[in-house]
Amino acid sequence: MTIAYDIEAVRTMWEGHETELAWGRYPVEHDPIRRYCHMVDDLNPRYLERGECPPVMVDYFASAGAWPPAELDIIGLVRKIPTPGNRLVNLGHEFEWFRTVRVGDRLGAFHRVVSIEQRATRLDPASVWIRTKTTVVDGERRVVAERVNQIMVHQSVEEIARG
Amino acid sequence: MGDAQRCWEDVAVGDVLDGFSLPLTMTRMALQVSGTQDFYPVHHDRTFAREGGHADIFINTGFIRGALCRLVTDWAGDAGFVKRLGFQMRRPHLLGDTIAVKGRVTRKWRDDAHAAVELDVWIENPRDGVATPGSATVHLPSRSA
Repeated sequence: MTIAYDIEAVRTMWEGHETELAWGRYPVEHDPIRRYCHMVDDLNPRYLERGECPPVMVDYFASAGAWPPAELDIIGLVRKIPTPGNRLVNLGHEFEWFRTVRVGDRLGAFHRVVSIEQRATRLDPASVWIRTKTTVVDGERRVVAERVNQIMVHQSVEEIARG
Repeated sequence: MGDAQRCWEDVAVGDVLDGFSLPLTMTRMALQVSGTQDFYPVHHDRTFAREGGHADIFINTGFIRGALCRLVTDWAGDAGFVKRLGFQMRRPHLLGDTIAVKGRVTRKWRDDAHAAVELDVWIENPRDGVATPGSATVHLPSRSA
């Protein structure tokens, strides 16, 4: 699999690819914010009482969500890019915010493939590193946030052993 | 939470954000899936994680950024605006770890529009130390603005 994998062909095909703007399934809502805060014991009344969206949740609300089945954030895009393995590990994240978002706001996002590299990791000598940039906009198409994400796609232990 | 609003003039380079700790119990891992709606099994299925070469299930990106966001927004207060947050996930925080979420002021400056502070932020665990280093930029209110 590793020998047959043509990273240059994959880069030519996918680097610079940009998705269409897609809107979140639902507007920003209180209950997902409450669950998110519960996860990390966050008691901030800005989020729990006053309807402000935690800045790190803007891409959550710009996504279709996990159910009914839909393309979730960048995962659908990443899955389309050929790679030797299909297991995902996120390695880095860089967010910049331009506006505050509140309950009731409608958000959407589009994604761009910034770079694709093949670089060995401790999990897989044929790991593929995919860098994407996501732009989140509000209902008036004003940019709310930009996010650069570094994901790594690798093979399972069994797949590596098989060669 | 509940402290008086922190202003730019109150901050000095070297100030420490004491932060907080969270034990990564199985319940916490369930809260992670609920809170992020990230059902990728490497974060909740121990067999799947081990088949992928990981020591165990580990917290996901959504959890990490939620914890760092809590650290920064608690510190910045109601009038603070988180402008930027970046981090690298160099080693995983595993089920059973107790993570500590901390920070430190590294720089402060003003420009025409903002009174800004740069922070180093990180998450550490007892096995690997600082496994998630990062940084953030926060805009704070200024008494002289």
